[in-house]
Amino acid sequence: MIKRVEVQYRGVFQKTLGKYIGGDIVQIASRMGKVAFSNGRYSDAPERNGIPCKYFAFVSPDLSEAELEAECGSSYNADNVDVSVVVDDAMAQGVEPWGWHGIRPVNEKVGHKACLLVVTRRNHEHLLRFTAKKPQPYRLATLEGDASMAGLWVFKDDLTRERCLGAVAAVDPGIISIEAVEEYLLDTGKDADRARAARDAYEATLRRIKVVNPDQGIDWPHEIPVLPKWHEFEEGGVAIPAVKRGFKLGPRGQNRNDGFKHGTSKTERPVVRFDLCIKCTLCWADCPDECFDPTDDGLYDINYEVCTGCHKCADVCPVKECIVMVPELQFEDEKSPWEQHKKDPAGYIQWAEDKKGSTRIRYRHVTGEGVEKYKATPVPRNMDGPGQKEAL
Amino acid sequence: MATTLPMIDYEKIKKVHDAPLEEFYTSGHRTCQGCESALVMRDFAKASGPRTIATGATGCMYVANTSYQTTPWVIPWMHTQLGAGGASAVGMAAGIRALMRKGKIAKEKINIINFSGDLGGADMGLSGISAALQTDYDLLIILYDNESAANTDIQATGLSTYGAVTTFTPSGKKRRIMQRRWKKNVAPMLAIGHPTCRYVATASATFPALDFMNKTRKALNVGGPTFIHTFDPCPKGWDFHPGYSRELGELGIKCGIFPLYEILDGKVTYTYDPHKKGRIPVRDYLVKQGRFAHLIDEDFDYIQGMVDTMWEEWELPGIAPIKSGLEMASR
Repeated sequence: MIKRVEVQYRGVFQKTLGKYIGGDIVQIASRMGKVAFSNGRYSDAPERNGIPCKYFAFVSPDLSEAELEAECGSSYNADNVDVSVVVDDAMAQGVEPWGWHGIRPVNEKVGHKACLLVVTRRNHEHLLRFTAKKPQPYRLATLEGDASMAGLWVFKDDLTRERCLGAVAAVDPGIISIEAVEEYLLDTGKDADRARAARDAYEATLRRIKVVNPDQGIDWPHEIPVLPKWHEFEEGGVAIPAVKRGFKLGPRGQNRNDGFKHGTSKTERPVVRFDLCIKCTLCWADCPDECFDPTDDGLYDINYEVCTGCHKCADVCPVKECIVMVPELQFEDEKSPWEQHKKDPAGYIQWAEDKKGSTRIRYRHVTGEGVEKYKATPVPRNMDGPGQKEAL
Repeated sequence: MATTLPMIDYEKIKKVHDAPLEEFYTSGHRTCQGCESALVMRDFAKASGPRTIATGATGCMYVANTSYQTTPWVIPWMHTQLGAGGASAVGMAAGIRALMRKGKIAKEKINIINFSGDLGGADMGLSGISAALQTDYDLLIILYDNESAANTDIQATGLSTYGAVTTFTPSGKKRRIMQRRWKKNVAPMLAIGHPTCRYVATASATFPALDFMNKTRKALNVGGPTFIHTFDPCPKGWDFHPGYSRELGELGIKCGIFPLYEILDGKVTYTYDPHKKGRIPVRDYLVKQGRFAHLIDEDFDYIQGMVDTMWEEWELPGIAPIKSGLEMASR
């Protein structure tokens, strides 16, 4: 018997966290007398900031090391997992790690009666508004917490690692037991708080496991591409057709790479108040992902399908409150905001302000140093002409 | 044989609203959030337009731009090996010239642009680029410098800043600083050593606005082999939040650690002249990056001292490390 665990994490930002959780599961399982090993998904390398990646841990109580490795070591992906740990809840909207992969549901590999464990502050119902329906029932567990983001060499020691281990023990004691987790953390961490955090997470998670029936979730809106066979590729094997040239003003006017969108890298998306825009072009000019579409009235529409949520536009925008980053799980579609604004300007402002709320987060320069919360000052709702200057 | 082909007369982009709207390097590349090198690709493709062929040496911008059988390029693009940036540009230019001579394709100006990273361009591929700059072909070589081998998770190169943490140069208990090499001055090295190369520049994709696009256009207008070195803050390797990549580029130039200039026919023009505009302390730039988190006052002072020397003592300030007062050996 093999128990499979996958950790779905944000590339680079949570690389160390993913690796630690996988490695810890192996250590704990081996203390319990089981055979285990852990590896990253080969195709995720080289990792980029924000891209959805996976780390795996395989545990077996009865197989030998060689047998376990033969079974799991060479495969680049696990087809059915017993526990899928998602350390950033924004990935519930789907994951697209590379080209020809498509945007796939976060619970794709969760098997029959297996568990999807999400680190989130939202409830089950909210998450089920984004996750796809599965043909068999599975379990959904939540572990209260924020996405723990750090950098390539930085590990943000905020106990997410220990709490995830406790939660894994809660959702599937067949992989690791909470006693073994505690013992391991006491031995290695020399700090009783770590073991206590795992135990608390274990008990909290036990109360937050719900069975998801086949009718719960959404019909998956994205098409999953079928990979061409080797003989169907272009002659020569490596000649790739370029993006067809094409540009016109307006939403989706620029031809883009259809095989890979990159939009699932974002945890936050920019919301624009078009009425405050001074048409300085900076957001469009500085966007490394070319997600802004120039329109005929001099504004810049956003194509959320390809936006990676890097914050750059919000940082360079000279107008206060014009571009603000908003957590991704508040949005259910990727409709053009400019079209909404054209259709109903007042309604759009209302919608944008509702999404933005009044609490803002400012990130520190160095990743992993945490965030700073502050209250936003309200900007008048109907501004035209001279009023715009005051907003600067 | 100098080229007799009609040139494309690129106009200087004077206002931000005059920048071309159409993209020739478009969305759907697997780069990091806030990637400045992606902006370099986008801007040179935008500035040079549709009659351009790009070749890229292995590096971040190659792997990211071909995410498993898909590409964001609208213009033709070819991948070449890590050190082969210069050779691929020469080969492509020669091939196109031959096809035109044989009448197989129409005689028109086709821009050949190679982009190489700092490992591919400044370390491994330097000899190839040097050879390319000795030819009479019209080609532009862009060195996109994110100060590490970023594709393979950040290894030190000859262009990494002194003191930076990389996978090759981690900060340890006994030795705080492992990257003890000073950044190589590639652009002046190429400018001084290659009289055939009429135009050499350094640039940053976002600061000053339009500067990089205009330098690309100038290089293509000047013709012959030309070279541009760009300064690309890398959120992954320099360890800062992706939203600040523009700010980091601006600070790097304002503190003088990356000089911004162009050299046309041997004449130097500073695009951002610290003698006139002043320099901010290098510390302001360094403390905003996680890769310098281990530095102590002593190290900041050392780096500041090196940057001061660059601007105050070098014969060509910020460019060539030759100090005045040198006399002949046989005095």
